[in-house]
Amino acid sequence: MLRVATDIGGTFTDLVFVTPEGQVGTAKSHTTPGQYEKGVMDVIAAKHISPRDFMSFVHGTTIVINAITERKGAKAALLTTQGFRDIIEIGRGNRPDFFNLEYRKPQPFVPRYLRREIPGRMSYKGMEEKPLDLSGLVAILDDFRREGVEAIAIAFINSYANPAHEEAALAQVQKLWPDVSVVASTQITREWREYERMNTAALSAYVQPIAHRYLDDLTGCLANAGMQCTSYFIASNCGVDTVKNMRQVPITMIESGPASGVWGAAALGRLIGELNAIAIDIGGTTAKCGLITKGEVKLNTNYLVERTEASAGYPVMVPVVDLVEIGNGGGSVAWVDEFQRMHVGPQSAGAVPGPVAYALGGTEATTTDANLALGCINPNYFCGGTMTADMPAVNKALDQLAATVHISRQEAARGIVRIANNNMVNAIKLISVNRGHDPRDFTLIAFGGGGGMHACALAKELGIRKVVIPKQSSVFSAWGMLLSDLRRDYLQTQIVDLGAPGAAAQINDALTQLEEKALRAYEAENIVRARVHFLRYARFRYQNQEHSVETDLPNGAITDEQMGPIVEHFHVNYEREYTYRLAAPVELVCYHLIAIAQVDKLKPEKLPTTSRRVEEAVKAHREVDYVEAGIHSATIYDGDALEPGMSFAGPAIIEESGATTVIPPGLHCHIDDYGDYQIQTGQ
Amino acid sequence: MGQQYDPITTEIIQNSLQAAADEMFAALRHTAMSAIIYEVLDMGTGITDRNGEMAGSGAGIPAFVGVLDKTVKQILVKFNNPGDIEPGDIFVTNDPYSGGVTHLNDVVLVMPVFADGELLAWTANIAHWNDVGGMVPGSMSTDAKEIFQEGMILAGIKLFSRGQPIRSVFDILTANCRMPDFLTGDLWAGVASVRVGERRLLEIANKYGKDVFLHAVEEYMDYGERVSLAALKRLPKGTYSLVEEQDTGAPWKVTVEIRDDQFIVDLRDNPDQDKGPFNMSRDEAVVSCQIAFKGVTSPERVANGGTFRPLKVLTRHGSIFDPIYPAAMGIYYELTIRLEDLIVRCLAQQMPERLPAGGFASVCGTLFGGIHPDTGRTYAVIEPELGGWGGSPQADGNPGQFSALHGETYNCPAEVAEARYGVTVDYLSFHDEEGGAGLHRGGKGVRIDYRMKSDNAWLTVAYTRSRILPWPLNGGCEGSPNHVEIVRADGTIENHAVVSGLTVNCDEIIRIKTATGAGWGDPMQRPLNLVKEDLKNGYITEEQANRYYGLDERSQSE
Repeated sequence: MLRVATDIGGTFTDLVFVTPEGQVGTAKSHTTPGQYEKGVMDVIAAKHISPRDFMSFVHGTTIVINAITERKGAKAALLTTQGFRDIIEIGRGNRPDFFNLEYRKPQPFVPRYLRREIPGRMSYKGMEEKPLDLSGLVAILDDFRREGVEAIAIAFINSYANPAHEEAALAQVQKLWPDVSVVASTQITREWREYERMNTAALSAYVQPIAHRYLDDLTGCLANAGMQCTSYFIASNCGVDTVKNMRQVPITMIESGPASGVWGAAALGRLIGELNAIAIDIGGTTAKCGLITKGEVKLNTNYLVERTEASAGYPVMVPVVDLVEIGNGGGSVAWVDEFQRMHVGPQSAGAVPGPVAYALGGTEATTTDANLALGCINPNYFCGGTMTADMPAVNKALDQLAATVHISRQEAARGIVRIANNNMVNAIKLISVNRGHDPRDFTLIAFGGGGGMHACALAKELGIRKVVIPKQSSVFSAWGMLLSDLRRDYLQTQIVDLGAPGAAAQINDALTQLEEKALRAYEAENIVRARVHFLRYARFRYQNQEHSVETDLPNGAITDEQMGPIVEHFHVNYEREYTYRLAAPVELVCYHLIAIAQVDKLKPEKLPTTSRRVEEAVKAHREVDYVEAGIHSATIYDGDALEPGMSFAGPAIIEESGATTVIPPGLHCHIDDYGDYQIQTGQ
Repeated sequence: MGQQYDPITTEIIQNSLQAAADEMFAALRHTAMSAIIYEVLDMGTGITDRNGEMAGSGAGIPAFVGVLDKTVKQILVKFNNPGDIEPGDIFVTNDPYSGGVTHLNDVVLVMPVFADGELLAWTANIAHWNDVGGMVPGSMSTDAKEIFQEGMILAGIKLFSRGQPIRSVFDILTANCRMPDFLTGDLWAGVASVRVGERRLLEIANKYGKDVFLHAVEEYMDYGERVSLAALKRLPKGTYSLVEEQDTGAPWKVTVEIRDDQFIVDLRDNPDQDKGPFNMSRDEAVVSCQIAFKGVTSPERVANGGTFRPLKVLTRHGSIFDPIYPAAMGIYYELTIRLEDLIVRCLAQQMPERLPAGGFASVCGTLFGGIHPDTGRTYAVIEPELGGWGGSPQADGNPGQFSALHGETYNCPAEVAEARYGVTVDYLSFHDEEGGAGLHRGGKGVRIDYRMKSDNAWLTVAYTRSRILPWPLNGGCEGSPNHVEIVRADGTIENHAVVSGLTVNCDEIIRIKTATGAGWGDPMQRPLNLVKEDLKNGYITEEQANRYYGLDERSQSE
């Protein structure tokens, strides 16, 4: 029986499976847009394994984010409160591109004529100020049918405080039009801020039909192929969830791939005792980094799709792993602007034509081409030996680039790598320094095709003392999925003055209700109470402030006696993040309850060792240009022949199919119990 | 020449300058105590070279980043003896007459960066402080007649000497402020921010060497200048003038001369300074011109000292754009947006194929306050408003966007406003006032209805573009006005644009309506499918579709 995870990426669909003996198998096949389930079945077939033998199946997919960024979702409509029809078009009015007189605001996903108002009003305290009037709904739905609407979002003002009106409208829509896809904002989140919540509901409706088809097709395919076990889908909060729940809120899958990578890094870190880590995933087109503190992945609920330096983007108010992503990967193209300044990315050569070395028509040098020219990547073992790099073409492309900026070919190749590294260093600073953390207190866990290639240089620049390249580096996101539990995050805004009488009781009631809600939801899917445990958090702030700090709360009943320690705990956390504390009254703003149900997940085993000596893993020696450390004769190791306990020093390169690890001169590399490469980059 | 310097290293250092400014911004935001800083992001950070020229684009709102270089230059003038400026020193300024640029609420901190005893650069930040003393809480009053009424004046004061806080200066600051805790918090946030910048710059200088660092900074500004000059080359040369009547009836005049290597803005022929706070410092007039210059020339690229080398600004001492001390300046920001809009309008008449038509172009500064009906606490709202931008040569104008002075400024969600202030937001959507027809129509303005839930609330606003409407281009139509309606309990409606301390009672409504931007191009040229779409979307009425766009007529002749 096998534990299996598949991860659909932009270019490749990855597979990882683990046998009961702990043997790990991996495979990649091309992603098949339009029929994503085919890519999944292909990659399973490629390894000659059968869904009949699956004991667990976890899946991650980019289908939701792709439907949004490619504008391939359904025709969606919105029902909202009278007086708030244009909220999703107005947004928040911000403009990152601040000198631009031609700035274009992001267009809403629901056009104005499909945004209709319903009378009825809740107050911010959750009291009904004006009753809900659904008498116009029949006519509105008739209009929607005529317009070919496929999905409807319902989002009312102050529904976070009381969702009764949304629930009533939802029930009525389902009754009047049973076939339409419909979602209410409070099914997704109970946080305040109407634009963010409404836009989340609108985007959720937009992707719902496509996600339903996909979930049904994939589970259908697997069932037909004889799979007996439950399928789980990875969500952006690093947990997995059931098909039933994903069908309800598919928007939570929006960043599932990157989430599982960062989650994998957190899980690996806990396994090897690296609880504070920066995870960096360097792929073909982008690099993504996330922060892990005390073994926990940082999440936030202010995720933005398509946010760039030139666009405000679209908010999605679901718990998403806190990521910084930049257009900087192996396929990023080096280019020179009209003022003779060299840049790398964010344009990417993608899979086709790909880097110049692919000889598929690419003519502009990419980061991968530069790494080939420097000797970091072996031209004769390119892409795991599946192709030979077209070095004459690479050299030609570099020469062209070099001529424009009046430098040598070698300087151009070095320049590409240095600029790419600098871009990534700045991204890591954004996720660490700019969030109040010193990167020197963290270990760098690097994965993805380019993780091992750049990690040591990044660590040096940032003062990071240790780099870990995981054994399953090239399919790490899929591996991370095998380590996830069922997890649901419940967020609910409620303002509680902690100094007021009855605060403890109010908090206790709210948490009890949220926990009961979570338990009932799990029970409806036959997950018994005993398997569920809770992590309680709440966001607190000083009265009248906006920024809040999330702090954990004790389990069990919240009593008056506990309020003192809870407030003190907040002061301590606040001071750590913002450097000072105030004597001002403290208020609770939002509950954040995490309900985790253990699943029978993978428990990574230590790898067996033979008496093989490290010298036996040496494949060759070759000249490698380590850029800042200069040119050296490097020892080339066969990654597949390395085993726990071995160690060696740079200058070295570790080669295996799908990944190359560059170890600069003088740095020490140790293979840990699980086969990961641990490189000491500082004291 | 530059061959001895590796261009890649130069570029990496330049990127690192931006990263350092971003880091300074994050530090300030994280540690600031006042909501207007960390929420509205009414702040900016930047790095200048040793002479006070802006070395990177900085971070924050554009109206603020352009302030910092002017502060440093003023410090260099004042502290001009050997030993006046030492490592670890930090200076503070808020005086618009000597490097503070804006108004007294905006406090600038600057710190010199030394390596081996040599001055390398400066790090700086600016932030809006809640209260700096003066005649009213919050320090800004439309009734101020001289700057002394607007708060304490810090005209380039040393705050830290060789890394040590100067205690007596701190004591003077806190004693002259209504909210000393907030002042102390915001002050230390600013200190943390300039120090983070200093550390980063030293790391860069130590890694690459002082000379390489200085060269990179210098080269970056030359690059900024090259970008501007290349953009200027693409603009039509000539001298262009415009006289525009203001809502007050006063005529404002601008003359812009565009040469191959210069962009000269002449503001000398303008009204004498205001007796109240509707003035701006000469430095702020320059900032306003910089925003317009950058927007017209090369908005997408770096903005540094080199960028603005081709810009020359001429003002007349004693005018609203260069008032004589001690004129008040509290409402300077409304002049900043008016002037920016005036310059863009002047040029847009000449090059309508390059520039957008006029938008709502007002900060629409709105202040109201009262008693929260549920908590009994007093509240005060200070917010800019969203409005419609003008249609552009390429597209319809943005609806519901902050003015050109703002960047990453966020509006307050209705749900947050209701909980925080206890008012009810009855409406937050586009209004249906007429205006902005065009081939590319103006973006819709916004209507917000704040219904008061307790008696004796007060309202102060200072909007412009209320009488003189947003200007069209190329045959488009004017936009609609910025204004505020007060819906009284008996149903009567009052109309306002500039008012101070107006009383509004329970269940009366403050209805803000910001302008719809003007149209670009002849509405009769707007493709019919778009006109029909606008009609379907309710952006225009059927009557307007026919009157402006000839819908029926054109449909029949098709």
